[in-house]
Amino acid sequence: MNFELQLVDFAKLVMFAIVPYILAAQGTMLGGRTGLFNVAQEGIMLLGASLGFLGAYLTGSMWAGILLALLTGALFGLALAYFTTTLKMNQFVIGLALFFIGLGLSTLFPKIIIGVTLQPPLITTLKGVPIPVLSQIPIIGEIFFNQNWLVYFSILLSIFLYYFMYKTSYGLELRAVGENPKAADSLGVSVSTRRYLTAIVGGMLMALAGAYLPMAYTGTFTEGMVAGRGWIAIALTFFGGWTPHLILLGAFFFAGVEVLALKFQVGGSGVPYQFLLMLPYIATIIVMMFAFRLVRAPAFLGQNYDREKRSL
Amino acid sequence: MKGVRKSFGPVVALDDVSLQLNTREIHGFLGGNGAGKTTLMNVLYGLYKPDAGEIYLHGKKVEIQSPKDAIKLGIGMVHQHFLQIDSYTVTENIVLGTELRNRPTLNLDQQAQRIVELSQRFGLEVNPRARIEDISMGVRQRVEILKALYRGVEILILDEPTTSLTPQEVDVLFQSLRVMVDEGMSVVFITHKLREVLSVSDRISVLRNGQNAVTVAGAEASEETLVKEMVGAGMDLEKSLIFSESGLGRETLAVGPKAIVQVEKIEVLDNAGQPLIKDCSFQINEQEILGMAGVAGNGQQELAEGLLGIRPIAAGRVLIEGIDISELETSELLALGVTYIPQDRLSDGFLPKASVAQNLLLGYHHQEPFSKNGFLNWPAIFTAARKQISEYDIKTAGPSEIAANLSGGNIQRVMLARAFSRPAKLMVAHNPTRGLDIRSMEFVYSKLLEQKEQGLATLLLSEDLDELMLLSNRIAVMYQGHIMGILDRSRFDKYQLGRMMSGVKIDE
Amino acid sequence: MEPGFNAKSLALRFLPDLLAVVASFVAAGIFIAVMGFNVLDAYETILFTSFRSVNGFAQTLLKFVPLVLLAFAFTVPLAAGKFNIGGEGQMIVGAIGAAAAGIMLADLPMVILLPLVILAGVLFGAFWGAIPAWLLYQFGINEILTTVLMNFISFGLIDYVATEIWKDPFAGHPTTVPIGAGGELPLLLTSPPLHAGIIIALLVAVAVYIYTDRTSAGYELIATGANPRASRVYGINVRRMFLLSLILGGALAGLAGSIEVAGVHQRLIEGLQSNFLILGIIIGLIARGNNLAVPFVAFFIAVLEVGASAMQRTMMIPGEMVFIVEALILLFVLLSDVVRRR
Repeated sequence: MNFELQLVDFAKLVMFAIVPYILAAQGTMLGGRTGLFNVAQEGIMLLGASLGFLGAYLTGSMWAGILLALLTGALFGLALAYFTTTLKMNQFVIGLALFFIGLGLSTLFPKIIIGVTLQPPLITTLKGVPIPVLSQIPIIGEIFFNQNWLVYFSILLSIFLYYFMYKTSYGLELRAVGENPKAADSLGVSVSTRRYLTAIVGGMLMALAGAYLPMAYTGTFTEGMVAGRGWIAIALTFFGGWTPHLILLGAFFFAGVEVLALKFQVGGSGVPYQFLLMLPYIATIIVMMFAFRLVRAPAFLGQNYDREKRSL
Repeated sequence: MKGVRKSFGPVVALDDVSLQLNTREIHGFLGGNGAGKTTLMNVLYGLYKPDAGEIYLHGKKVEIQSPKDAIKLGIGMVHQHFLQIDSYTVTENIVLGTELRNRPTLNLDQQAQRIVELSQRFGLEVNPRARIEDISMGVRQRVEILKALYRGVEILILDEPTTSLTPQEVDVLFQSLRVMVDEGMSVVFITHKLREVLSVSDRISVLRNGQNAVTVAGAEASEETLVKEMVGAGMDLEKSLIFSESGLGRETLAVGPKAIVQVEKIEVLDNAGQPLIKDCSFQINEQEILGMAGVAGNGQQELAEGLLGIRPIAAGRVLIEGIDISELETSELLALGVTYIPQDRLSDGFLPKASVAQNLLLGYHHQEPFSKNGFLNWPAIFTAARKQISEYDIKTAGPSEIAANLSGGNIQRVMLARAFSRPAKLMVAHNPTRGLDIRSMEFVYSKLLEQKEQGLATLLLSEDLDELMLLSNRIAVMYQGHIMGILDRSRFDKYQLGRMMSGVKIDE
Repeated sequence: MEPGFNAKSLALRFLPDLLAVVASFVAAGIFIAVMGFNVLDAYETILFTSFRSVNGFAQTLLKFVPLVLLAFAFTVPLAAGKFNIGGEGQMIVGAIGAAAAGIMLADLPMVILLPLVILAGVLFGAFWGAIPAWLLYQFGINEILTTVLMNFISFGLIDYVATEIWKDPFAGHPTTVPIGAGGELPLLLTSPPLHAGIIIALLVAVAVYIYTDRTSAGYELIATGANPRASRVYGINVRRMFLLSLILGGALAGLAGSIEVAGVHQRLIEGLQSNFLILGIIIGLIARGNNLAVPFVAFFIAVLEVGASAMQRTMMIPGEMVFIVEALILLFVLLSDVVRRR
């Protein structure tokens, strides 16, 4: 393949790979902006992948799988919101607990429902949806406008979220809750309502991110297939300064590293493949070294709010 | 409001309390800290749900479940600690939560215009486009009041609004309140400061220990009667430090001849790395209390932290009994006899999930007899703790009780006990009686004076001029990191101090 | 802390936890019944396999060792308010270090080699914990993130070591050649094999308790976790505490790794970390960070785990079922705390 074709191929794969990062990170961002720090992404994504796959496999319909995944994500989001916002339990501990449960259920369900088979059970993967006219543009058309619909959705979602957060009064109120929940509450902007809503929507996005993996990549569910993308999504959220537009940009970086590592493994670069496998995680850490100090997270991130709490 | 009752767990904050507010009146709501005034107003504003009681507005019964309801009914509240979002602008803070049509861009020009009109009408100047993190406390308070005015409230509740104001700014505030009342509003003015409430209120209600004490017309009230109502029968006013007419005795006020603490041209940086305290010098003798007045945010916190080694001293030196302590670590300073009562006792000095004994140990956990060779001597720690609990009258079940259950006054007693658990040379006390009930305030003062007579040098940083004037031998004023001047006790004058707090330098 | 136990109050304190266990079993039991299995048989296998035979009990003790160490690897940083989710990677890297020492110095006598192997594991694990600690100290990066990422990196490392450096050509699964005989932990029992690691684990448990509850340094750790700002104001070097706690956590997990290498496998096997990390965290959270309770909870979980594999072998019920039970116990225990508050 000549260099130009290689580049196009690379870019196309990156576009393909950004989806789980964007969806999971935007989900994290939404909750975080109200002060709810969800650390269960990895578990929700795994369960979303597992149930999304099972739903599609058992019914033959991709949409059934997606619906099941969304439902699961919503449930986990609801649980997180309930335990932390209403019962006032520690957000990290609950997040970890939900991560464990998602992890366990993600391997339990396939084992019970399908059992162990010789050949991995398969579903048909998502097809590319070329956008008329735009996909005809040389190079750019192929890279950007000939992807599956979830890629388009991820990008449009990010743009919508930017507009929503910064150009609407809803966004103003949402961000206020994460910056100073007591101030917002005292003006009639309900903190708990917003935390519940963002947790549920966030959970749905995370589950969808997970479901993308069997639906777009391999066509089946394998244990651990999320491979840390949930955790990397947290890094991406910080890296993007908890803003939807920078998260979109940052996702390209992480997707790029993932594709790069893959390319090197396949292409035979002389580097032992184990080290290439480590690349995305090392890259994430390096990125964090620069991002953490520069980034301003919502002031009340990770802290619960109690209206009746008396300060002595 | 009728028959309101509110408890927090086992603590009864309000017991069958009633309050009647007339139209076009400034109603002073007086009581010591912890009496329940803020709690009652929080019920009115929908932040707290009462266990019992009813609220009537214009004769009709109303249900207030949340601030949203209160705002709809025309009730607004200005909290003691401003509820503002630092990164937002003045306009954004004020319009937050109001009906905004979602036009393509969040254009707030119209709203900003309305804010300017309001600010001019009531004499509360603000710049609508400024960010909260960039403006001063006085302006921030105006923003807080404008939040309520913008929503067209009929009833405005002000919770301790004068804490961070200079005497001159207090006068300006009271003028604005008169304008509001003339326009048809009613104002509830919560405070524990007698003289202020007398000077501005039409009627005054006194709350004591969560119960109604009395309601009088402003013209008929006197300081004496109000004090008696605030304090109740349990306290002997003659012996009281705060209320007795005689003031401190000559022996109590005596100052030793030797200068124990010498601060020489120190420079301390703020959080952004810029010098905040520059070229600052003063000295404190043994048995002397040096008061430090100033509006919050002018360097007091940084000064305290610099003296305690929490913040580095960028230039100059600090000497204690001739020894240069400028480079020492906090743990070394504590061992040397520098003690501290931080102003934010909860966040800066308290371990809620730990036991009382563990709290008393904080900062002294490496020193004998509590620790030997790295191992803790729990029997010794507990013996000391029991002694401190009785000596400082800390209401607790015992040294093992989890400290989270302690009330504000008791927490401060723990802080005091801890500060004086080892012989001390210098005490840095920052707003030591903030939020305390009258009895606890008396206790803190008596302990400080007791230690003073035994030789302690004290730096008393406070926003309460009455407190400073009561206890200090001299008062220095800090403004933007500089000392504007030091007044001797014979020349104490509130308005003079107020001028210095606003940046006017005094020749000594 | 305060001396003196009261038997009745102790029992009362544990009642909610007991209820949590019962509730989780009931929940799982419903699931098992729906799947068509015999619920009572399942319960019996899970709970009693450990006590039915000497072998079962030995298996339980063998599982107990890494579980209790990994629980401590989580609770010690937790005391300082830090979440160490990297026990897995720290254990793996510790195991790599132990195996490296055991293989490269294979000819040394036990008196030298064994301590070296164990020590190598501790140091390597401490190092793996020091990296996120340093990232936190220097760059302020949240340690939940970095410790987890380090886990993933360690997977690559162990695969590389087991398939490239000291590969055992006859093994079907990535494994190294055995370590020298001098590096093997002596057996307390030969049949079933029970290695001396259990003694080390118990000693460590005592040491951890003494450290956190009875030393000034331990006090600083706890104060830091209780209120970092107040601790700083009163002279504790809080940032150093964070660093130290994570390094200690890494050392404990690394010790688990070296014991697995020296005692159980006598070589480095990919996957030796099993699910100890997650179980360790669950144990730590159920014990609510109380280092006195950790060994008891760890033993209980070890019993459940042995029961789980037995159940999978004999009844064909997936072992994940027990994992769900354990996760549910955690959830119910946390909920009982909320109820207790009211």
